Amino acid sequence: MYQYDTLDKEIVADRSREFREQVGRRLAGELSEDQFKPLRLMNGLYLQLHAYMLRIAVPYGSLNSRQMRKLAYIGRTYDRGYGHFTTRQNLQFHWIKLRDTPDILDHLAEVDMHAIQTSGNCIRNVTSDPYAGATVEELDDPRVWSEAIRQWSSLHPEFSFLPRKFKIAITAAPKDRTAAKVHDIGLMIRRGRDGQLGFEVIVGGGLGRTPYVGPTITEFLPANRLFSYLEAILRVYNRHGRRDNLYKARIKILVAALGAEEFARQVAEEWAKIGPEGDLPDTELARIRGAFAKTAFEALPAVSETFEAAKAADPALARFSRNNLREHKKPGYTIVEISLKTVGETPGDATSDQMDAVADLAERYGQDDIRVTHEQNLVLPHIRLDDVPEVFARLQAVGLASANVNLISDIIACPGLDYCALANARAIPVAQQIAQTFADQEKAEAIGELKIKISGCINACGHHHVGHIGILGVDKKGEEFYQLTLGGSGAEDASVGKMLGPALPYDKVAAAIDTLVEVYLRERQDGERFLDTYRRTGVEPFKEAVYADAH
Amino acid sequence: MKALTANRLIDGDVVFWKAGKWVERFADADLFDDAAAAELAEGQAKSQPTVVIDPYLIDLMESDGLWAPLSYRERIRALGPTNHPTHGKQAEGGEMIEALMHADGAARSSGRVNLIKRK
Repeated sequence: MYQYDTLDKEIVADRSREFREQVGRRLAGELSEDQFKPLRLMNGLYLQLHAYMLRIAVPYGSLNSRQMRKLAYIGRTYDRGYGHFTTRQNLQFHWIKLRDTPDILDHLAEVDMHAIQTSGNCIRNVTSDPYAGATVEELDDPRVWSEAIRQWSSLHPEFSFLPRKFKIAITAAPKDRTAAKVHDIGLMIRRGRDGQLGFEVIVGGGLGRTPYVGPTITEFLPANRLFSYLEAILRVYNRHGRRDNLYKARIKILVAALGAEEFARQVAEEWAKIGPEGDLPDTELARIRGAFAKTAFEALPAVSETFEAAKAADPALARFSRNNLREHKKPGYTIVEISLKTVGETPGDATSDQMDAVADLAERYGQDDIRVTHEQNLVLPHIRLDDVPEVFARLQAVGLASANVNLISDIIACPGLDYCALANARAIPVAQQIAQTFADQEKAEAIGELKIKISGCINACGHHHVGHIGILGVDKKGEEFYQLTLGGSGAEDASVGKMLGPALPYDKVAAAIDTLVEVYLRERQDGERFLDTYRRTGVEPFKEAVYADAH
Repeated sequence: MKALTANRLIDGDVVFWKAGKWVERFADADLFDDAAAAELAEGQAKSQPTVVIDPYLIDLMESDGLWAPLSYRERIRALGPTNHPTHGKQAEGGEMIEALMHADGAARSSGRVNLIKRK
């Protein structure tokens, strides 16, 4: 992964010192809460229902074992022995005390981590492909571009007070694991006819109360012109984005109001004014590329006899391999996805002991590399096939060997009303009930890929709009109800789900999902996914079945 | 009937007003059946900005013969998260915790609306 230089380290250490002083001034009464709140938010510190929540940046979802162990230590020392991985590849602690936060930031700074730009109306942490540098599918390593964007956007004076928060995703593989089309800017690395690298630029996607799949405003932007173009987009947004209405302030509203063509024209005009001077010099990009620690792969046979024999002898390992392993670009290696969706547990939560165990595995077997996915799982991107049986056994020992990646129990859920001050309804127990309903692994595999995503309010941290089945918690006169949407996707075939019908009460949701699955199994053809069947049949058969049961 | 609640500045913990000070258990909170007394206490609470954040009054209802917050959100604040029964104030158990867990009233929380407006 990227190695911090002296300048990076100084910035983070300075920020930590500055926040310690700000906390001191707040506790002494020199700063009011209104004055302090934006300062604490700039350091990822929110006040939630039971305590403060600290959101820690995991830039493009990339961690090493030292950093993961530090997160485990913070969880054990300052929280309740666990942390929550989020849909933006970050980590949140939910039981943080204001008085401890300066010490926690110091601990993070020791391992080149921080909570900068995890809140506020700035350019947030860049989302990238959790399989970067490992997948056979990619055209380039998107972490290099993500890191360049991180450096460019960090504490950027012009873009620290945008009309609203701003999220960028970048992927270099045709299979999109970043939800790029529902980000403020989605960048998809493409290769031009002449072999040059470039980006498809998608602007104005988003979720929340006004969901949009973003339109493409440039089919092919030469890679070396990326930064001037990003600057032009941000300038047009900064100038014309609505600051008068919180709910209309995201760039998606501006793009929709102007139309993609007119927005693109204004960006092009601004871009021409900025010119190539706004671009990153090739030497700087080369420096960043070089600052990623090299991964040393061995020359291995494509098939591991050790692994094949272990799989043949252990059906549980065979199931894990079917669902949680992905093809690696190097023969003899595999990508191992670790599900944080053990049935009965909280989606995205990992205990400090589990974090330590994953750190140990990364260090011993995985080139010291760990990734966080936006679907709230972890990834060991470089595992030798020979080592998979041992890695699996060690994951089993700490309760992290669930073989359900991309299956119905691999549910995204925001913290919901159990923790969040903005939520209308709980999300976690709904996820747990659904996971219990489909705990039978044979059945889950027979159902195949089915992405359920749950948000406890319209802000959509649980990405419900892009769930194959989306679940949105709403407050009806103080009671928890849930609206179901069908047909969403956050992947390369992105779409916003359509509402199924009237909201259901809390205790009817899992049964309704069961009904939807029954309809799918009845209707599906030729190995269709749930999403494919829905797109073919439309909503009617699903709607009829759910509301026939409800009445 | 009303109670006065806030989050404590230094640690974010949920606290309740009791005779000019803040206590951690809802069971120990002052209960106001007089609107003027409740508003007076709220005013005093707002003059403690280095002790608490965002004090606000919550509506109560009867449950198991005791008073419990009417809104579900406020009951979660007074108890802790439902996915971790050993976290938060519910871990301590007791008669009042039981009453809060059994309460089934429903209303929007007035405090939540104010917090969102402050965003």
